[in-house]
Amino acid sequence: MAAVNRTARPGELLLLTALGAALFFGGWQALAASDLVSKQVLPSPLAVLEAGWTMTQKPFAGNLLQAHILASLQRFAMGFGLAALIGVPLGLVMGRYRVIDDAVSPIFEGLRFIAPLAWVPFAALWFGTGIGGPVMVIFAGAFPPCVINAYRGAQLVETRLVEAAQTLGARNVRIIAEVLLPGALPSIVAGLRVSAGLAWQSLIGAELIVVSAGIGYVMVQGQSNLSPAIVMAGMLAVGAVGLAIDVLLRLAERTVRKRWGHVA
Amino acid sequence: MKNIAFEDVTKVFPRGGGTFTAIERITLDVAEKEFVAIVGPSGCGKTTLMRMAAGLEFPSSGSVSVGGRAVTAPGPDRAVVFQQFALFPWKTVRDNIAFGLKCKGASRAEQDDAVRKYLELMGMQGTEDSFPHQLSGGMQQRVAIARSYAIDPDVLLMDEPFGALDAQTRTVMQEELIRLSRFNPRTVLFITHSVDEAVYLADRVVVLARNPGRIREILDVAATRRAEEWDARAIEEVMDLPSFTGMRTHLWKLLREQIAGTE
Amino acid sequence: MPAAPTVPRSRNRLLIGLASIAALAAAWFVLTGSGAVGSARFPSPLEFWKAADQIATRGYAGGTLLLQAWHSTRLVVLGFLVAVATGIPLGLLMGWSRRFEALINPAFLLVRPIPPLAWIPLAIVWLGLGDAAKVMVIWFAAFVPSVINAYTGARNIDPVFVAAARVHGASSARVLWEIVIPGSLPMIFTGLRLSLQASWTTLVAAELVGAFYGLGRVLDIAYRDIYPAMIAVAMVTVGVLGALTTQVLVQIEKWAVPWRR
Repeated sequence: MAAVNRTARPGELLLLTALGAALFFGGWQALAASDLVSKQVLPSPLAVLEAGWTMTQKPFAGNLLQAHILASLQRFAMGFGLAALIGVPLGLVMGRYRVIDDAVSPIFEGLRFIAPLAWVPFAALWFGTGIGGPVMVIFAGAFPPCVINAYRGAQLVETRLVEAAQTLGARNVRIIAEVLLPGALPSIVAGLRVSAGLAWQSLIGAELIVVSAGIGYVMVQGQSNLSPAIVMAGMLAVGAVGLAIDVLLRLAERTVRKRWGHVA
Repeated sequence: MKNIAFEDVTKVFPRGGGTFTAIERITLDVAEKEFVAIVGPSGCGKTTLMRMAAGLEFPSSGSVSVGGRAVTAPGPDRAVVFQQFALFPWKTVRDNIAFGLKCKGASRAEQDDAVRKYLELMGMQGTEDSFPHQLSGGMQQRVAIARSYAIDPDVLLMDEPFGALDAQTRTVMQEELIRLSRFNPRTVLFITHSVDEAVYLADRVVVLARNPGRIREILDVAATRRAEEWDARAIEEVMDLPSFTGMRTHLWKLLREQIAGTE
Repeated sequence: MPAAPTVPRSRNRLLIGLASIAALAAAWFVLTGSGAVGSARFPSPLEFWKAADQIATRGYAGGTLLLQAWHSTRLVVLGFLVAVATGIPLGLLMGWSRRFEALINPAFLLVRPIPPLAWIPLAIVWLGLGDAAKVMVIWFAAFVPSVINAYTGARNIDPVFVAAARVHGASSARVLWEIVIPGSLPMIFTGLRLSLQASWTTLVAAELVGAFYGLGRVLDIAYRDIYPAMIAVAMVTVGVLGALTTQVLVQIEKWAVPWRR
């Protein structure tokens, strides 16, 4: 849309993309294969892929790679699910009732500033290496965007729509469920997308520190073994799963917008 | 059907450091099944009056009552039609129209009946499953009106309902409203900028002055309307009648005085 | 909501907010004082105060509060500045030139989905447990939001402004310098705030995984010592420092972008 520069032809752009990829991977491969850097420090792209593949066939750090990924996803789902189930209604209610907003906001703003990772020691104290620890950390990271976006979404819902519902006889629960929730949905889904990203990040962080299974654990073991290939394979896995989650939520966002004609 | 009674109503808003008197000591009675239009320049408080009847605002002093009971909250006995339609974008036409009935606890069958009835009335059969953004402005406003009618309100409050429509659609909608209100008469308070619209639709036209808002004059149209059988004629015919143009010109002069500030 | 307010809303809001904070504080006192929440799990206000005093005066995990805080803050600022200095120009260029964007995209899109924290093990393998590894990870954390926001800022410049500049004979360089960059500043600052937040989070995490000094290290040692009061002190300090640095950024923004509201 914004053609800040003279527009390049699509063919040219494709060529440049391919060139960029070639330069990046080629350079990487060349650097790794040369004697400038030891294999122990920089594995080639192929070595990374190979390490990853091997982990799907032979267990590493206690399990196959797929099992580790699944373990991570489980924690993610729990933490993210909790954050959404509590955060979204809370945000909506705060958006609707000023009193609740006034009461909850100061506490919320104060706690928000604490980096989710900083909760790890407490989580570890309270839950040991059990599932509660990472879930709590994920929750701390995923909760704020859910609340904030639901809150802002509720505020953006045209006052007229709330008034229309009131004049038609709707009571508060119905107003929240049938007017504020759908009206705020685009904002909520956007918040869920941000929240999922933060949740995934917090999860990995937690797994780096306190856990016995999961992709984070794989990476820490790789680090202990001084095996950058495994670490990088883990990183790729983390990136790929995170990307997949984001793509799914983007799709959800787009569907909502399209169905309701770009609401709000 | 119920009446609307404004008794010595004043409304003051805080503004900046001080206050702004939107309405000062207005007393007005809208009889049962009467169609009253309120016209006036911007800022004369006409919308505020309507919102007080709806229960969306409350008077600073004086009282507003509908059917003898003081207005304390919005409710389905006083349906509101907004200028911007205020249709729920995420609900289909069917669900929008049925919303008030759902709140009342009507069964699915009752809802479907009402939806069908009003869509037929509006000539919009087949649009049940469309979303508002897929409809034209005129159709959206028809849905909004149907939504209000569906709950069978005692009082209908309309805030410049045709203001967001283009001129031709607006004219068509005015005719339709006449048809609807003769088919199903109820108490109506109709806010508008347009003098033409007011005279064409109303039994009585109330002219408000501004700063502060108060009643300038009340014009009785009902007598002439009945005598000359306006409702049986086409709108362009009515607007040609000398009685019509006379009233319109008179009202317009009143408004012009205020806009020019020679009040 | 519809009724004319008798008490100004802002005063109401303040009172309710204070009331709920007071209620929370009261609950804290009561729960820890009565023993309902064991002191091994959550510190009482007294214990919190004692721990704070300890680390402020005698030090903990290798240094006083000031030392640890300073260490962490130094790293955050360093990593942040490097990330911003590299990220913003890159983002602006990518937003400005589609050709450049096409070239850089493959590398950027590969790196982008990887959470910054996931770089920690690699950083440790490459650079050990010292400061360099921390700065590297912070750089990654702060780099991506800077690039993205600078990119968005440049991309969303209203073409009308560019057209107006060119019509007056401005060269590409001048357009970039006098139109695109100032126009992108609001978005850039939004990115800066995100980058700063990411920097703090990443630093704490990195120091938790392994470090010699810093607030994250304090957290780690306190965890091993089962010393929840100290954990709380470290957390609160991180929060306060985060808020302070953000405020500094906000002030800089006010100075740099005076035309924004």
